[in-house]
Amino acid sequence: MKSPLSIDVLFHIGPAPITAPVLVTWAIMAFLAGGAWVATRRLSLQPSRFQAFLELIVQTVDDQIRDTMQAEPGPYRAFIGTLFVFIFVANWSELVPGIEPPTAHIETDAALALLVFLAVIYFGVRASGLKGYLKTFASPTPLMIPLNFVESLTRTFSLLVRLFGNVMSGVFVIGIVLSLAGLLVPIPLMALDLLTGAVQAYIFAVLAMVFIAGAISEGRPEKTSDERTTK
Amino acid sequence: MTIDWWTLGLEAINVAVLVWLLQRFFWNPVSTMLDERRVVAARDLIDAAAKRADADKALAALNAERAGLQQEREAVLAKAAVEADDERVRRLERATEEIAALRAQSEASVAKEKADVHKALQYQAAALAVDIAARLLARIDTASIEAGFLDGLRKQIASLPPWQRQALAGQPLKFISASALTEDEQSDCRRMLDGALGSASDLAFETDPKLIAGFVLDTPNVVIGNSWRDDLDRIRSELTHE
Repeated sequence: MKSPLSIDVLFHIGPAPITAPVLVTWAIMAFLAGGAWVATRRLSLQPSRFQAFLELIVQTVDDQIRDTMQAEPGPYRAFIGTLFVFIFVANWSELVPGIEPPTAHIETDAALALLVFLAVIYFGVRASGLKGYLKTFASPTPLMIPLNFVESLTRTFSLLVRLFGNVMSGVFVIGIVLSLAGLLVPIPLMALDLLTGAVQAYIFAVLAMVFIAGAISEGRPEKTSDERTTK
Repeated sequence: MTIDWWTLGLEAINVAVLVWLLQRFFWNPVSTMLDERRVVAARDLIDAAAKRADADKALAALNAERAGLQQEREAVLAKAAVEADDERVRRLERATEEIAALRAQSEASVAKEKADVHKALQYQAAALAVDIAARLLARIDTASIEAGFLDGLRKQIASLPPWQRQALAGQPLKFISASALTEDEQSDCRRMLDGALGSASDLAFETDPKLIAGFVLDTPNVVIGNSWRDDLDRIRSELTHE
């Protein structure tokens, strides 16, 4: 049995090795982007059932952002929503025979955690300015700067490990059971893995919202003060 | 366990590109459509509120107009009722007047007819009475009362004014009696006339049974009569108020 921690290089583009997770991610990107393009070509003010379903997805994401971040969803919708949709589809891509979810590899999860880390910085700076964002590390006292810095790294790492551990373990267990038992035995475990994948997508998105909300909410009072000064 | 940094970097780029693609082809179009629908719904609500306000105004105006029409209708009905009442009273008065006039006219006509009938009956009664009296008197022997009639005639002539008596003297006179007079009776009559007129007269004797009894002196200017016929005619005139 092949180790789920190993990664196969399928081919090279120049110096860059193209691995299976990257290839599956491209397929998912093509599926999602193409599907989105097809689905949103004929939007109208009087929605069809399918358009209503799409609007339900957007409205749900917006509501989640409003409830979790206490902010208008406009700037965050694309990032948070795409994270959820991508992780969800990637986790469920194991339904396709022969496809291993990209999120079962630590590189993909690390990439997602890295994007969340960068997004937290981007939205924090965008909300409070660079100085204001850096001041958040000194909150509540400058003594907390090292701890806050380490926290920002460790929480990103926890994102990575949580997603990777859940998805990789599911694939790993299914692979072990499949190698030991018959064809139908892993099916309940696969169903559980689908549920885990959906839940993990939701948790990852919610945690990303919480981290970003923490960055922008810490900057809000200072921004309000600046606005008062400006006025 | 090793990390393939190429894969990590490519996956980061992939997800970032996917974020952009989905923002471009899914999140923005759908959220824009939601916002547009929200705007349209808000505008429709505003329009609906404005139309409702207009409708409320129109309804209020209509209600006011209806109330005005109702008042106008009531005023017209009241006016029509007053006019009808006036017309009824006027027609009633006119009818009463016409009825009174017709009644008066009818009563006058009835009274006139009654008077005419009464008068006619009076005439008939008088005529009948005179006729009865004439018939009864005709059965009486008038010879015994001729002298009385002759004396009455003499008194009438004597009562004439002197100039009229003088005018009668010398004129032809007709002495009419109810029955033919004998020679003696004619002589008595001539003597009475001559005495009454004061001179001899040209006298002619005639007979008229209608006189029943008595005499009539017929002159060119005056007729002097003293007979039952004259009496009966006078009685009839008195009875018929002529």
